[in-house]
Amino acid sequence: MNVVQRGLLAGVLCVWLTGLPNFVQAQTPGQETQQEILALLKEQNNKLSGELRRIQREIAALRADMDKPGLKDVFSGIGYILGFFGAAAFVAARRKE
Amino acid sequence: MHISDGVLPLSVTIGGYAASAALVAWSAHRTQTEEMPKLAVMTAAFFVASLIHVPFGPTSVHLIIPGLTGALLGPSAFLSVGLGLLLQSLLFQFGGLTALGANALMMGLPALVCGWLFQRFKGSSIRRQAAVGGITGTLGTALAAIILALLLATGGEDFFGVAKIALLAHVPVMIVEGAVSAFTIGFLARVKPALLQQSFVYPHKAAHVSH
Repeated sequence: MNVVQRGLLAGVLCVWLTGLPNFVQAQTPGQETQQEILALLKEQNNKLSGELRRIQREIAALRADMDKPGLKDVFSGIGYILGFFGAAAFVAARRKE
Repeated sequence: MHISDGVLPLSVTIGGYAASAALVAWSAHRTQTEEMPKLAVMTAAFFVASLIHVPFGPTSVHLIIPGLTGALLGPSAFLSVGLGLLLQSLLFQFGGLTALGANALMMGLPALVCGWLFQRFKGSSIRRQAAVGGITGTLGTALAAIILALLLATGGEDFFGVAKIALLAHVPVMIVEGAVSAFTIGFLARVKPALLQQSFVYPHKAAHVSH
């Protein structure tokens, strides 16, 4: 993150912080609106935590998948085996002469 | 059923390496030059077979095929199993490198036993060869499970408990391996019976041929 980006972020944060109290004051919410906002926040919170759980599960599945050997490992192993026996056959054939 | 790092006591680890090294040397000594292509192909098959998973309840177990390897390779099977396990350990992270000796014993000894049994009892008819091949294929995994239990018993585990679990968990694998071995050997007996001859039972004849 370079200096310009950091400054920009700080600016945005300042605007948001100064704007927030005005917004809250301007609303001067009553009892019902507060309840409404609370309910909305709770709903949002539930949704987000559900989504987070899903993502965590996905990460775990991904990690389990990464532990499995891939096609690359299989072919490199077969290559090693054939190469090893090829070299051994070469040595054995030379010794026989 | 591979043994991981740090499960076995040090003495068993070192003993396993020593015994495996001796057996690999013997196996390499008994290998004929003409058999090398077969050996290479069977080693590759053994190496890859561990990726074939058989679903079993909530988990899955994979094929091992020590029996088939032994039946096809005879005395050379230990070399094949050792090399296959080394590469599985390096590339697939199956079993630890320090436990490689013990793992090689666990799967190599059944291979040798099965190879000997197959040569001893295979008879001459195709059907009998396939049947004996199927039995040795099943037996290979069962023996491997028992040796696994023996090795783990040295680390303080209860022998009969481990043996029971390992045998039960590998029942589906044994069935599949028996079928695969019977099919493979039956096919080879029909198409290329020469591949099923090894120097196990007739070492003098084989030695005579090689010189």
